[in-house]
Amino acid sequence: MMAAGFALFGCRDGLLGSSSGSRKLPTLGDFEDEVRRAVAQGGRGFELVKVPMPGSIKSSLSTVRSQDSANRFGMAIDLDVCDGCGKCILACNMENNVPLVTEDEAAKNRFMHWIQICGGVPFMCAHCGDAPCEKVCPTGAANHTPDGLSAMMYKRCTGSRFCGANCPLHARKFNFNDAQALGLARKFNDEVPQRGKGVMEKCSMCLQRLQNDRLRFKTEVGVAKAAGVPVLGSGEWRGRGVQTACSEACSKHAIIFGNWLDENSELVKVASRRELYAPSVVAGLDPSVVYMRGRR
Amino acid sequence: MKYFSVAVLGIICAFLLADFLFGQGVSPTQKSDLDESVTSTPAIVFKHALHGDSIGLDCAYCHTGARSSGHAFMPAKSDCMDCHRLPLTENPGIETLDSALAGAASEPWVVKSNLPEHVVFHHGVHSAAGVECADCHRPHRGAVGEATLASDGAQGFRNDIYGGEKFDMKMCLSCHRGETFKQKNFKPAATYCAACHR
Repeated sequence: MMAAGFALFGCRDGLLGSSSGSRKLPTLGDFEDEVRRAVAQGGRGFELVKVPMPGSIKSSLSTVRSQDSANRFGMAIDLDVCDGCGKCILACNMENNVPLVTEDEAAKNRFMHWIQICGGVPFMCAHCGDAPCEKVCPTGAANHTPDGLSAMMYKRCTGSRFCGANCPLHARKFNFNDAQALGLARKFNDEVPQRGKGVMEKCSMCLQRLQNDRLRFKTEVGVAKAAGVPVLGSGEWRGRGVQTACSEACSKHAIIFGNWLDENSELVKVASRRELYAPSVVAGLDPSVVYMRGRR
Repeated sequence: MKYFSVAVLGIICAFLLADFLFGQGVSPTQKSDLDESVTSTPAIVFKHALHGDSIGLDCAYCHTGARSSGHAFMPAKSDCMDCHRLPLTENPGIETLDSALAGAASEPWVVKSNLPEHVVFHHGVHSAAGVECADCHRPHRGAVGEATLASDGAQGFRNDIYGGEKFDMKMCLSCHRGETFKQKNFKPAATYCAACHR
């Protein structure tokens, strides 16, 4: 009796094998192969409708306080230039330590990539101002930052997957696997923690790059003020000079990242001369990531 | 029927007893071992009180990133040697120190941060906002002099390390919400998750 209890309850992990066993690391080539496969398999495109230029966040959630923020980060993807090569996906995977998937999942087109080529165009989380995913999160793991990013707190996520079910773009990816134990994950970037099994993840608009730049900026301004050195500009951080991994990697400069509330941002300068589109399913949700086509 | 229910109860009790006796601890990985967080080979007897409190060195002189960078950093041997090239006092203890320094590696201290992977703490931005190092690194003790440190046998608190403190999110958040350090009039600080978490 005791032995049975021991086997059933006593050392669950001990008998079933520990996850900290020998881990093989996938090579960069494995990631490149998977991206090529994902691009080749592709996904169904979204119907695009015209949208106005994103401004301050319009959210029905009282917890989203955007009026006191000078920043709303977003991206515009140039449909006239993008040829769906998939370089953005590989750059994103390496920046954010996105794991590989098993052969079965790959055959079903279920990749963990935060960017998916749908109808020849990259689609990622639109960082909706009025984000439907955040409204259904039971733990508050999906929440908005004052900078207009739909952020994901992995340690808070309990894996209910309500957010994924409520996302019209299917931009959220769930870790069904323990990718590290299966040898499907590799840490390319120390700035981003690896996600465990049972955690939802999605495009963070390279939150780590933005926050690191903000910390650097605030430190420099603080040190300059303390030393009595005059500070150029308002001394407020606007995220200038930061690029997301995908926009940095795009050789055709089709992904433009910037601050919608900063008229000096390249994003605003370029987007104001173009017609803007968004997937019809999120067009009414105040998306931060939009698509550009033609001239206005 | 009565015997059956007694048997079921017995089985359940046996399982629970087995779990109690052989089950794994609640959090075997969360053991924080402060003695391993800072190591130095060979042991250099370093006293913060001798450098900071008595000769007034700023923390950032040795912890070069403390006021300007994310990590405070531990000093390299070359930082020590800036001052310790010449015997500094007539104190006989200085010879022990000189020989320890001579035999030390170029980076004598190896520090393993206790900060979890999903938390970001930037020393520089706090310093720039007017937070003093000692506001966090001398917790719950008031002014700590050398006498207190030397006589303090409290577990996990060593007089060669500043702190030995256990930080938690409550401590961060109470200050970020303006509930502690009211007399210091810090600017309002961010309290949204992504400010510090990834």
